[in-house]
Amino acid sequence: MCVTMGDISDLDRQIEQLRRCELIKENEVKALCAKAREILVEESNVQRVDSPVTVCGDIHGQFYDLKELFRVGGDVPETNYLFMGDFVDRGFYSVETFLLLLALKVILVFGLFFTLYDILSSSHFHSSFDPCLAPQVRYPDRITLIRGNHESRQITQVYGFYDECLRKYGSVTVWRYCTEIFDYLSLSAIIDGKIFCVHGGLSPSIQTLDQIRTIDRKQEVPHDGPMCDLLWSDPEDTTGWGVSPRGAGYLFGSDVVAQFNAANDIHMICRAHQLVMEGYKWHFNETVLTVWSAPNYCYRCGNVAAILELDEHLQREFIIFEAAPQETRGIPSKKPVADYFL
Amino acid sequence: MAGADGDDSLYPIAVLIDELRNEDVQLRLNSIKKLSTIALALGVERTRTELLPFLTDTIYDEDEVLLALAEQLGNFTMLVGGPEYVHCLLPPLESLATVEETVVRDKAVESLRKISQEHSPVDLEVHFEPLVKRLASGDWFTSRTSACGLFSVCYPRVSSTVKAEIRQHFRTLCSDDTPMVRRAAASKLGEFAKVLELDYVKTDIIPLFTSLASDEQDSVRLLAVEACVSIATLLPQEDLETLVMPTLRQAAEDKSWRVRYMVADKFSELQKAVGPEITKNDLVPAFQNLLKDCEAEVRAAAANKVKEFCENLPEDNREQIIMTHILPCVKELVSDTNQHVKSALASVIMGLSTILGKDNTIEHLLPLFLTQLKDECPEVRLNIISNLDCVNEVIGIRQLSQSLLPAIVELAEDAKWRVRLAIIEYMPLLAGQLGVEFFDEKLNTLCMAWLIDHVYAIREAATSNLTKLVEKFGAEWAQNTIVPKVLGMANDPNYLHRMTTLFCINALSEACGQDITTKQMLPVVLKMSNDQVANVRFNVAKSLQKIGPVLDSNALQTEVKPVLEKLASDTDMDVKYFAQEAISVLALA
Repeated sequence: MCVTMGDISDLDRQIEQLRRCELIKENEVKALCAKAREILVEESNVQRVDSPVTVCGDIHGQFYDLKELFRVGGDVPETNYLFMGDFVDRGFYSVETFLLLLALKVILVFGLFFTLYDILSSSHFHSSFDPCLAPQVRYPDRITLIRGNHESRQITQVYGFYDECLRKYGSVTVWRYCTEIFDYLSLSAIIDGKIFCVHGGLSPSIQTLDQIRTIDRKQEVPHDGPMCDLLWSDPEDTTGWGVSPRGAGYLFGSDVVAQFNAANDIHMICRAHQLVMEGYKWHFNETVLTVWSAPNYCYRCGNVAAILELDEHLQREFIIFEAAPQETRGIPSKKPVADYFL
Repeated sequence: MAGADGDDSLYPIAVLIDELRNEDVQLRLNSIKKLSTIALALGVERTRTELLPFLTDTIYDEDEVLLALAEQLGNFTMLVGGPEYVHCLLPPLESLATVEETVVRDKAVESLRKISQEHSPVDLEVHFEPLVKRLASGDWFTSRTSACGLFSVCYPRVSSTVKAEIRQHFRTLCSDDTPMVRRAAASKLGEFAKVLELDYVKTDIIPLFTSLASDEQDSVRLLAVEACVSIATLLPQEDLETLVMPTLRQAAEDKSWRVRYMVADKFSELQKAVGPEITKNDLVPAFQNLLKDCEAEVRAAAANKVKEFCENLPEDNREQIIMTHILPCVKELVSDTNQHVKSALASVIMGLSTILGKDNTIEHLLPLFLTQLKDECPEVRLNIISNLDCVNEVIGIRQLSQSLLPAIVELAEDAKWRVRLAIIEYMPLLAGQLGVEFFDEKLNTLCMAWLIDHVYAIREAATSNLTKLVEKFGAEWAQNTIVPKVLGMANDPNYLHRMTTLFCINALSEACGQDITTKQMLPVVLKMSNDQVANVRFNVAKSLQKIGPVLDSNALQTEVKPVLEKLASDTDMDVKYFAQEAISVLALA
């Protein structure tokens, strides 16, 4: 594949539009998703991430609160980010939220590479770089996105993303492009080999990271099995495994975590998936951490949000933030409140 | 119409004239705006005999066109042959003054007032005054409304018989059946009073004023308040009490808040017009009531006038009046439920310290300032901080710092980052008001602490704050006070804080100049090119690009270039990219 300079400036414009919470055109979504797919397909099921990095939990289409997150945590690419899924559903701006995150990722890999290529070839420098090899060359990403249980065709048809796409674009084409990309999102990440990040939690069918690496992830999230569990499970104050009230995934206890962490030589598991009113919550003597990044969830829960800043020595700092004040939000959508709010 | 009959030079004019009748509004509008060109081409005679009758007959157009026409005709005197013929303009303007659309009517009246001055006294009586009479006795309220604006312009220049008629017409309109006409009359009452002889002011105007001020419509009554200022200025002091004050007292307690608002809004003017004695006896209690009004709009309007009112009190017992009558009300307003009221008060309250002097300020005003400084509404706090300098003059910087600074510091360390952000934004203002020495002693620590705040938006604001401080206090101050601390952060264990050093350097290098940038900042930037975190390294490249223009070419070639070349072969793509960009922008390739 080849990306031209025209694509780069297009992408820049699209990012600017998305930052203002404006929609980009359907064919631009298509092109963006095509580029994103080429990057994501190369990523591992356990994507390696280097510190320093700022870890974030659920966003759920709360676009203006995502912008607040960037104000508190710093802009891309100055600050490195890892988002642990659930970008869409529930909030009013799932499309804008997901596409902005995707566009930031795409420009940070392709954008910089090809601008550099252009400089190299236009000035006195000579290089053997072939731009078409770009996807094969791995770079430490400034932004990593992994899959949440809401990044699924079935769930988004119930919790708002499908309806939002239909309402905003008049067809489900954009929803199709996005859900195809969902299948390419990585399932988990590992920071400096020590902090395992996943949307939901552990699975009884998985004892080692290598077992995750062997999953064929390019599919709709299944109803059961290891891939489903990673995206659906929750920690629970017990030992062993329990049946999840969610109807998918499992409840996992402290001994399960201790065993998993020891077997894989990791310090802690960082996950999202559950609303915590204080923004973050420790479990099992600081071996599991829940991070939640959607303040005032569903615009009514009254919770604060958190992000976890890990510096290059894996020193932790939690940053708490509240929902963006009303005056910084765009005019709330003219459409009626979706019925799942009522 | 004429103009197209044979004479080629008039052809463009014929087109314009045709366009006056075009179906397209825009074309008619364009043509009307060029009416003076048409008139000039036609000459004064044909303008009078052909153009004006045409215009008078065809006035059934869109309001937009009529508005343009009404305006044009006000400047038409020379085009119809000068003052001698100016009365020719009256017929079209008279019909424009009767149309339904207010803006057109108002513009026609404005033009009529203008050309009235160009009438000779004789023409005024023969042509203009009859027009006023016709309008004043028109069937439809529109013409009577327009008439109200024309009395005062012809009154001074007509015979006493005509004057009597004019007064009679004005009286009639003041008790017109329609409130629109009474409103127009009330709004011109002050202006008309000014041109009347003093005796008639007392015999004619006062009764009209009294009746309009007790009109059943509050929109009429509130206009009478405006007239009150002009009328009171005209009357001798001894008549005010009997002729004006009963009405003014009544207005200040009117049942409609809009009337009371008008009294509050005009309070300073009223105070000047009635003089010190009446102010003391009547206006002080009235002002107290307005400050305590049940409507927030009225309280806010009154709060806005607190300083001006106090300033204009008679000096002999000003302090006593303020302390016993005004200050208690002000104290209540400080904790008003409405933020506009508090904000209005905060914008003027600091001015009281100059009037009341040091001791009263410390004892009575400082606690109020302190409360407002901690108000939840940012506008209230800003209004207080923006006016600190006038308190500073009265009580001195030491006293000010002891009393108010703790509150500022408290806000600067608030748990909510938006509160901290608001305080940072006031820092340059405070720095300007308090001076460098005081700033270094009390506020500099805060400014530096914000640079390592855990919220990015605060660090960003703190960075641009430094730039503004350096612009105020100069490069030498920067070198001694902030540059060492900024550079110290380059060793912070957290990459986000190390990058803040770079962001500060980006912001400060220009203000600090070549010497400081080259000798102090550049070595630190270059050293940071070895940072283990890629984000820091690519920001080194960005910084070098930014400060490059401030450096001399020797430093660029011998120090910057090798480092950028090293970064251009970094293992991280972003570092390479930004290094290449810097090399290219700085032309170091």
